[in-house]
Amino acid sequence: MKKIVFISISVLLLVSCSPQMNLYSWDKYETTSYNYLKNNDEKSTQELIETYQKIIEKQRGTRGVVPPGIYADYGFILLQANKTSEGKELLLKEVALYPESKIFIDRILKMIEK
Amino acid sequence: MKKILFYIVVGSAFLSSCTTTTPITKSVAYKGMYAEKPLTILLMPPINKSTNVEAKEYFHSTLSIPVANSGFYVIPTFLSMEILKKESAYDAELFLNSPLSKFGEVFGADLALFTIIHKWDKSGIAAKVYVDVEYIIKSVKTNDIIYTRRGDVTYDASISTGAGGLAGLVANIALSAINTSLTKYVDVARACNAYTFKDLPTGKYSPKHNIDGEELSGKKYFKAMLNKNYR
Repeated sequence: MKKIVFISISVLLLVSCSPQMNLYSWDKYETTSYNYLKNNDEKSTQELIETYQKIIEKQRGTRGVVPPGIYADYGFILLQANKTSEGKELLLKEVALYPESKIFIDRILKMIEK
Repeated sequence: MKKILFYIVVGSAFLSSCTTTTPITKSVAYKGMYAEKPLTILLMPPINKSTNVEAKEYFHSTLSIPVANSGFYVIPTFLSMEILKKESAYDAELFLNSPLSKFGEVFGADLALFTIIHKWDKSGIAAKVYVDVEYIIKSVKTNDIIYTRRGDVTYDASISTGAGGLAGLVANIALSAINTSLTKYVDVARACNAYTFKDLPTGKYSPKHNIDGEELSGKKYFKAMLNKNYR
């Protein structure tokens, strides 16, 4: 019994001591996505693209993979800028990393083909 | 005399025990989350009932980080926003009480997160932002509400110059008022979301997935005082 108490206390201590790490790192996504929605101009679009690139290239989350939706939304921004092949490539990366996105992404790909 | 004292003690003990509700575990409070094992979640466009016109679209984009960090697959925000607009489904209030199966077919969503912004008021003099947001997660399959919380949040944006006396007080108020007007929308939204989703059962991508059922759930209706340090 004493052992259990000791173990649970030390587990509690360990948990509370370890630095808070999230599954993913998001760079400046909060600010740049807000600015993109608010201003929707060339500057804010460019900053959002830079944020996407940093999230993809310098991922520091505990999972070590790109967060859900990042490839797809980045691809969407490129599609809007008429960079169709690059955009499509990113949509396919989303499906490869997160197969559960296939239903939705396939629908988008079909819309582009039309 | 003794009798009266006795009644007072017993009475107050009784009263105080009534005000505290027994905490319940997440597996009981949010049992649908554990039974259905949902993975994908669609962020519905927020329903804005506040007088703040900024509130709707911006709040939408602040939801993906906390929900993804909880281990769920968040359906791409900007892409889904575009499709919802195209399909004239951008008014989420229309779907709050109607079948959601269409969202499963189109987006592959297991869950839909509705948010209702009831209040988003700034007070410059008090350097505070008063926010009242309701979060409702519904199962796309059963239409049941499987998670809901509503927070009455006071966000404190005040700062101090460190100067004392009446002059200091006036300076502090003036500075805080400026700070409130500059308070970033995203800071308030982040604090509010983070506080609310503290007790959200984790999804498949979290190492705590399916083993956090014994943790305690938070209050369904809560009041909180937050500031920019809250994460």
